[in-house]
Amino acid sequence: MRHPLLSAALILAAGTAQAQDLLFPPGEDPRFDWASFEAFKSDHDLTGQSVTIAGPWTAEDEVTFRRVFEYFEAATGATVNYAGSDSFEQQIVIDTSAGSPPDIAVFPQPGLARGLAAQGKLAPLPADTGDWLRENYAAGDSWVELVTFPGSDGQSHVYGFPYKIDVKSLVFYSPENFAALGYEVPRTMEDLKALTERIAADGGTPWCIGLGAGATTGWPATDWVEDMMLRIHPPEVYDQWVTHQIPFDDPRVVEAIDEFGWFAKTDAFVDGGAGGVGWIDHRDSPTGLFSIPPRCFLMHQASFIGSFFPPGTEFGTDVDFFYMPPYASRPELGSPVLGAGTTFSLTRDTPVAQAFLEFLRTPLAHEVWMAQTGFLTPLKTANLDAYGDPTLRGMGEILVNADTFRFDASDLMPGAIGAAAFWTGMIDYVAGDTAAEAAGMIEQTWESLARTGGVDG
Amino acid sequence: MNQILLAGITIIVGVAGCLAYFWLSNLLLDRVFPPRGDNAAHNLRRSGRIRPWLFLAPAILFLGIYLVYPVFASLWLAFSRGGEFVGLDNFVWLAGDPKFRESLLNNLLWLVFVPTMATFIGLIAAQLTDAVKWGAIAKSLIFMPMAISFVGAAVIWKFIYEFRAEELAQIGLLNAIVTSLSFAPKAWLTLPVWNTFFLMIIMVWMQAGFAMVLLSAALRGIPDETVEAAILDGASPWQVFWRIQVPQIRGTILVVWTTITIMVLKIFDIVFAITNGQWGTQVLANMMYDWSFRAGDFNRGATIAIVIMIAVLPIMVWNIRNASRERD
Repeated sequence: MRHPLLSAALILAAGTAQAQDLLFPPGEDPRFDWASFEAFKSDHDLTGQSVTIAGPWTAEDEVTFRRVFEYFEAATGATVNYAGSDSFEQQIVIDTSAGSPPDIAVFPQPGLARGLAAQGKLAPLPADTGDWLRENYAAGDSWVELVTFPGSDGQSHVYGFPYKIDVKSLVFYSPENFAALGYEVPRTMEDLKALTERIAADGGTPWCIGLGAGATTGWPATDWVEDMMLRIHPPEVYDQWVTHQIPFDDPRVVEAIDEFGWFAKTDAFVDGGAGGVGWIDHRDSPTGLFSIPPRCFLMHQASFIGSFFPPGTEFGTDVDFFYMPPYASRPELGSPVLGAGTTFSLTRDTPVAQAFLEFLRTPLAHEVWMAQTGFLTPLKTANLDAYGDPTLRGMGEILVNADTFRFDASDLMPGAIGAAAFWTGMIDYVAGDTAAEAAGMIEQTWESLARTGGVDG
Repeated sequence: MNQILLAGITIIVGVAGCLAYFWLSNLLLDRVFPPRGDNAAHNLRRSGRIRPWLFLAPAILFLGIYLVYPVFASLWLAFSRGGEFVGLDNFVWLAGDPKFRESLLNNLLWLVFVPTMATFIGLIAAQLTDAVKWGAIAKSLIFMPMAISFVGAAVIWKFIYEFRAEELAQIGLLNAIVTSLSFAPKAWLTLPVWNTFFLMIIMVWMQAGFAMVLLSAALRGIPDETVEAAILDGASPWQVFWRIQVPQIRGTILVVWTTITIMVLKIFDIVFAITNGQWGTQVLANMMYDWSFRAGDFNRGATIAIVIMIAVLPIMVWNIRNASRERD
């Protein structure tokens, strides 16, 4: 947008969105909860007012988000000014310390919001938010914990509203190959391990695991270890691990790393052998699922990996996914889900901003994005039929059926750990170090952060 | 397209801006102290004293902003934490960090291997290409890698070392050769110690051309009489080269060697783009980047930067002394 007048004109145009430009005309498609829209509309009249939102979404995500908040504008008469930025995390720190924050900030991970809340830069959400989340979000307690931080007064409040979630606990496979060889989708971790051994015994290679990622090599292993942590220990242990209340080389963490190693460090279980795991690029590794004969049958990865499948790959026929199963021997852990997602926080407590957060509680605010792309929600009252395609729906179901949700640990740890030492440790582990050695190296770095008062999460 | 346009505009504006600065500042000086009229001689002397500073000013200003200020800022960062002076705390941490020891050791390997090999290969290439008819072509081929950016070279060599699972066609040159000789392919860059050498070869490949060009010029500058006299005295070509020619270009060899050494001490791009310091290939500059921009800990990043600076400083001083001695 080079011309200031032009961009101002566009903002105005966007601001006056009328009911008739809405993506799905109100009242028509029965998949959507129009009653919630009408109820919200009759409760709120904010004509002429406006709310500013800053977030990390640009390009396609920004367009789909606009399609959603146009309903808020249509219902209330208020104007939403959204500014997306690729460097949102730096921008919001600058804006809040300069005293010119937006009304609402959309945080890509709660760690940053926690820091700003402690400095008194965020306003607590209405007191009933916690109860509402507990009641309406699957694994509600997990969500409330994720967004509850101490404020500048030392009191803990709910500071964020989770909205737009990603699921990481996915295992991709080819239904055709499974059918041809008589393999079945495992429902327990014991079955998954048995399947792994069976495929290897049949002469196949069970897994494609690629940890290569250029300058971020090693990160795919962190998702593995996190998923294993949630499957062998209670979520409280996971939380203590993330916040460094237990050392990184605690025997329980070492155990989770070894669980990952059971898959990744056995030559016969991985494409390219254990020596290849560290090097093979995670964006190349999916090709093994589709080659003829298949070079592997299973791949653990987050939902984004679909963009790296060969062109023309059909979800449901060529490739499908299942939920990374829990251990049957540990029923008390239920079905944990690892993921990530954005949270909405109040950087300025205005009535319109409050109304916007209330709008996010309506099923419609979820369904409109579900019907587009790239959006998952744990909201139980949202209609699963609203999902735009069966893949999203499948992932959405995993989220709604979750007993526990935990945010990607490596994103919550200090950068020196989660985006450096953890990766290096996992690379060294796959290359031959023992789990205790690798974890010990990471702990040493983390401990040195704590000792010198470094940037600690 | 947009970038090309932008780059073009930048070049035009930059060059025109420089010319305009020198022209206008000169004009202004002549206006203030006109070299005519009653005080012509006096004015000429005065403007003569001011003019060099006027022309130097932009360079001094930018060096000050981009070189001198950062040195002091880094020093402060290295001795502080969260804005408070902490003495040697950061250095104490660094000394105890296993990754730092690994980086130091690797930098030492780089320091010994790369300048030596690059200078040696450059010297041999300079001598040999001067002796054959197609030497000019060979020279430009050896020199060409110099024109490639470090990251570009890293991408090219990453393809050479690329590894695919055994049953796949190897797209990496090295593994293609290895498998055609019916050995098993290897993920070369994950093999400790060897992988550092694989990375160093890239740097040698890039710097040998630089060494060759300088040494070739130096070889040509040797008085013919000395070589002729040696040949008349019955020296073999081997003896002429090592006993007559090389000692006469010793100064140039040292300058080449130290220049590459300084470059190697700062090695970052190749490691960053290929292994990012994993599999035991970490080097100081990449470690500094990791701590500064990945961990967001500028104090520790600056501490490593200071260590690099201290290591480079003596070699740089020596290099500049050598270069100015060459000129005399």
